[in-house]
Amino acid sequence: MSQEQASRPLEAMNTVGRNVPRIDAYERVTGKATYTRDVRLPGMLYARILRSPHPHARIRSIDISRAEALPGVRSVVTHETHQLIYSSGSVAGGRQYNDAAKDITTHLRYMFDNPVRYVGQPVAAVAAVDRHVAEEALQLIDIDYEELPFVIDAERALESGAALVWPEGNLALDYQNQARPMVRRVGDVSAGLQAADRVFEDRYTTAFVQDGQMEPRSALAEWHGDKVTIHTPTQGISNCRHDNARDLGLEDHQVQIVCKYMGGGFGDKNGSYYFDLIAATLAKEADAPVLLELTRKDDWLGTHGRWHTIQDFKVGVKQDGTVTAIQMHGYSGMGPYLRRSGGISGIEVYACPNTERIIYPVHTNRMVSGNFRAPSDPQGFFAMQSMMDDIAYKLGVDPVDFAKQNMLRPTEDVRFTNYTMEECIERGAQLFDWQGRRRPEPGSDPGPVKRGAGMSFMMFRSGVGPSSAILRVDSEQRYTLFVGVTDIGPGAKTTMALIAAEELGVPLSQVEVVWGDTDRCPYSVGESGSRTTTQTGYAVVQAAIDLKEQIAEAGVPTGDEVLIASATPTPSTQGRRRMCFGAHFVEVETDVRLGHVRISKYVAVHESGRILNPLPARDQIRGAALQGIGQALHEDLLYDARNGHPLTAGYYGARHLTHMDAPEIEVTFIETDDGFGPYGAKTVGEAGIILGPAAVANAIFNAIGHRMRDLPITRDKILEALS
Amino acid sequence: MDRKKSEKEPRELPESHEPQEGAHLSRRDFLEGTGAALGVAGVAPRLGVAESRTAVVAPQEAEAVPRTRIRLTVNGTEHRLDAEDRWTLNELLRDHIELTGSKIGCNRGECGACTVLLDGEPIYSCSTLAVWADGRAVQTVEGLEQDGELTPLQQAFIDHDAAQCGFCTPGQLMTATAMLNQNSSPTAGEVREALVGNLCRCSNYNAIVEAVLASTGSGGAP
Amino acid sequence: MKAFANRNAGSASAAVSRAQEAIGRGQSVSFVAGGTDLLQLMKDRVVNRPGSDLPDVLVNLKTIPGLDDVRLSGPDAFTVGGMMTLDALSRHTVIRDEYTVLAEAAESVATPQIRKAGTVAGNVCQRPWCWYYRNGFECHKAGGSVCFSVRGENQLHAIFGGGPSFIVHPSDLAPALVALDASFRIVGPDGQRFLSGADFFVLPSEDAQHENVLRDDEVLVSVELPIRPSEAGVRSAFHKVMDREAWTHALASAAVVLEMDGDVCRTARIVLGGVAPIPWRVPEAEEQLAGKRITPELARRVGEAAIAGARAMSRNAYKIPLTREIVERTVLSLAASA
Repeated sequence: MSQEQASRPLEAMNTVGRNVPRIDAYERVTGKATYTRDVRLPGMLYARILRSPHPHARIRSIDISRAEALPGVRSVVTHETHQLIYSSGSVAGGRQYNDAAKDITTHLRYMFDNPVRYVGQPVAAVAAVDRHVAEEALQLIDIDYEELPFVIDAERALESGAALVWPEGNLALDYQNQARPMVRRVGDVSAGLQAADRVFEDRYTTAFVQDGQMEPRSALAEWHGDKVTIHTPTQGISNCRHDNARDLGLEDHQVQIVCKYMGGGFGDKNGSYYFDLIAATLAKEADAPVLLELTRKDDWLGTHGRWHTIQDFKVGVKQDGTVTAIQMHGYSGMGPYLRRSGGISGIEVYACPNTERIIYPVHTNRMVSGNFRAPSDPQGFFAMQSMMDDIAYKLGVDPVDFAKQNMLRPTEDVRFTNYTMEECIERGAQLFDWQGRRRPEPGSDPGPVKRGAGMSFMMFRSGVGPSSAILRVDSEQRYTLFVGVTDIGPGAKTTMALIAAEELGVPLSQVEVVWGDTDRCPYSVGESGSRTTTQTGYAVVQAAIDLKEQIAEAGVPTGDEVLIASATPTPSTQGRRRMCFGAHFVEVETDVRLGHVRISKYVAVHESGRILNPLPARDQIRGAALQGIGQALHEDLLYDARNGHPLTAGYYGARHLTHMDAPEIEVTFIETDDGFGPYGAKTVGEAGIILGPAAVANAIFNAIGHRMRDLPITRDKILEALS
Repeated sequence: MDRKKSEKEPRELPESHEPQEGAHLSRRDFLEGTGAALGVAGVAPRLGVAESRTAVVAPQEAEAVPRTRIRLTVNGTEHRLDAEDRWTLNELLRDHIELTGSKIGCNRGECGACTVLLDGEPIYSCSTLAVWADGRAVQTVEGLEQDGELTPLQQAFIDHDAAQCGFCTPGQLMTATAMLNQNSSPTAGEVREALVGNLCRCSNYNAIVEAVLASTGSGGAP
Repeated sequence: MKAFANRNAGSASAAVSRAQEAIGRGQSVSFVAGGTDLLQLMKDRVVNRPGSDLPDVLVNLKTIPGLDDVRLSGPDAFTVGGMMTLDALSRHTVIRDEYTVLAEAAESVATPQIRKAGTVAGNVCQRPWCWYYRNGFECHKAGGSVCFSVRGENQLHAIFGGGPSFIVHPSDLAPALVALDASFRIVGPDGQRFLSGADFFVLPSEDAQHENVLRDDEVLVSVELPIRPSEAGVRSAFHKVMDREAWTHALASAAVVLEMDGDVCRTARIVLGGVAPIPWRVPEAEEQLAGKRITPELARRVGEAAIAGARAMSRNAYKIPLTREIVERTVLSLAASA
């Protein structure tokens, strides 16, 4: 069905478009919000995981007898006792529930694997009466490891003679179990390069970035007969239940997932992992509820972050500035298990007719890579738009003009539900005073403190798709909305409530939301891919329309009567691309003798359709932009190449931004209504992180006159580049 | 549940043995264990608590874990209890007097989610021992609201959307509360300096500073 | 954490006795002040005292009365108690006015919460923050015999005085105290002794496992600051460079104390942090200043002299121009602050 609806002007809205405090803000500011580790069950045990100290090793033997003998220890599990496969053992990206993939893959992911393939991989777990006893017990597990050769560098991993992470080789298997790169060709890149007047070549690299959400993973499992309840921070309770059920050999209805509050996700908490399975296994063995807590270091090394990349470009350009060819050959370091595709985006915002993108997702003995807010994008946009910025200066062209000359625009073949990429750039340039702040001659400021300006622009999918909602009204006009959302931070619960209030035409206070519990809520797509507002929000609209129709037919319920409506729409844009758009403009002040970068102005312009709740929407962009700055200037996970051990795990090591590192982000939304999604709302949450690294890097170039091609752009790199 | 009423009386936890001067692990055994493990660790570093030991160490006997009788005031309520000497103040609060508002983000003084006030001063409750709080007064996020009334700071956090995921919020609130007690009209720069030990990975820093300023009456509209 | 007993000390000598008793029982002992760092080492099971196991006993020094303030301790010295918090130190009027370099160093440490708990003695005696040591590598500092940074990642490591260990001394107070010519009061089984900075801190070539001379049963009780006659025109400043705006250790720092006579510098003491295994005094740079009017050219020469003996490893060459620059700027800013 086509979803397109007539636009509704903001003036006609009661709730949408107004600042609405989060409906659970009180709980969040009083300590009453219940996160997973705040749940207490009678007789609860505490669990800890023992992790591999080796990047690659075979476990010859594992002896748990001393650990089991420690008073207070209730259960010890290892690969010898339990061989569960997690995330349905799926292979390549996006197919986390695919049974076919599970059947064919040769790279199964075990809860405890042997051999171990990265430092930090689980090898055993203990449940005990308290966390200190559990920790002590880990010290008493005796393991005989046979150390194996390992590889840390993604490019070297594909060279002949490299240590093998998997016997088949280090090129990751795709979802058809084939070892082959991801290839996308449009037109003829060789012909495009030949037709160019100038060809530019460069290599860019980006570092691994941990999602680093404030709440470390944990899981609290309790069995009731053959049914298990798992309290766990997850970005999608429905998918989490489905995955865990399959992995535990149960039916969906035998698993209940509860997640009332969670301390951030950013992609780290979508897709199931080993934690829930370990907690469930220990709880079964110990016959008691088990709370598994990951330490910060466990979480840092034992979950995932954005894949590091190496990107080699060739770009052909005509004398008049027309880009004739873009070639990018990239390596994405995925660690030993493929959690996600390893994609690298960025080429698609250009109208260039000849492009070639070949990406090698590579296995190494680093920790695992996976989703982090716009998984394929900031690293790709950094490299692509640094490349284009560099070319613009080499051609003597203003990068904004160069962007507008070469960017993708709607054509007969490329149809959008609406298009504002150029408007975002123009509005940003004006708000930022691009002409006033940019140095036509990079690095030309006198003195050691130099200013410069940079920009970047993007589009990001804002699709429509299936989800469900249930609405109930009783005789006291109390509306109860059942949605399978959790709230990782953007305020999904509040958004769902205000959509219901808007469509029903009732005050927000009359809507109660039931969320975060698979036993009480219908399917929801989950808080990933920036889909909750557009997909589940649209289901809420449809359920509300249904309920209104029922009320119109049957009248308002009386006495003990209730009316219930539900909707599971599967909307489509019928071949048109639905995108959100944005442009970021950054000014930096760089002290070239101290290598210090300060961001002195940051303007973010976004078109995300209708903005349903302005304050949280603004803060999604501000927070994401700051995360992008962190990726640009600070974050990394340094490995010692000689022993394969990570050195900078944690907030101190990765130098995450503090209050004093955070500049003010000025956010402007261009509001539109393309007729899709709830009231024209598009995605917000991921879009804001995509542009920071490119815009900051371009501003640094404009300030110092030296192109920084490797993220993060730290003080030592700036000083070395200028020395 | 009406915690306030139930906690007005000093709560005594079950009697436990007094600290024993001689209670300790067998150091000799443990040293041997460490020494043997070091041979491996020369090449392969240990991974925090996750280190596996290859040495033979006799199972720990069920020796008494040292405890100390302490008395402290938490949010105005006096508590007397026997704390294990190794408990952090955060463990005491969260696990033993069931105040789960302060959070553990890193458990190592890097993030600030565990910040509470000790005699009015902000400290990391993960990085101080419970026994060191003996005789002192602790305030947690649960102690801000009085008689159903939020503090202006809490209300400003609501109005200015200062909590995204909310996990760092208790720590931000406690540090900001302490700062405002010292300086009732801070500048934005002073707020950032005071809160620099409280990370927010949602990176909602702008809104947090706006909320703190607004609570003093000097901030702009949201 | 491994189980341990906390023992509150009532006096420095009682603390020493407590430690000796425990050692005599075969226990492993650590003194503890703020605990903001020691507790993390214990959670991570990183060796705190080389040759000793994780502590069985913590001897708590914060309960010793009278060690948490600045006192006039005689006609020629101020005593800064070892248990004074960094926060209190940085706010103390005498310290701010007379020993600015120390106040600035104290307020550059970590975060407000850590400064509320962390102490003078704890800051000076904290173990290195080398990422190999902190990640449990069996290096010199953990009782081993390797410095992994030599053939590994050494972006944060020493450009002066290294070898066989190339850690940098982690304390911000230490360079300031050495620049102020402080002496360190130590109490041990044989009573007390006073050591200059030169005698208190030890290079790895002397002792690769420790950063100072303290034995397992000795306590740093206080530091003594020589009184600065106000007419001496003493000015001082601390400049710390980090790789974010707060809560990291110094990539490089400069503690500079100038005795000025109008715009002429009578004497100078310049001590670097973050670049050597101990607070690193640079006499060649100090000599450049003696008896001279401070000009931008002179400041430049002072900066050059400060890095004269620096030797880069594979990844820390940037520290050399960085150090030169902060020395030059700090000297210049002090000259301008007349």
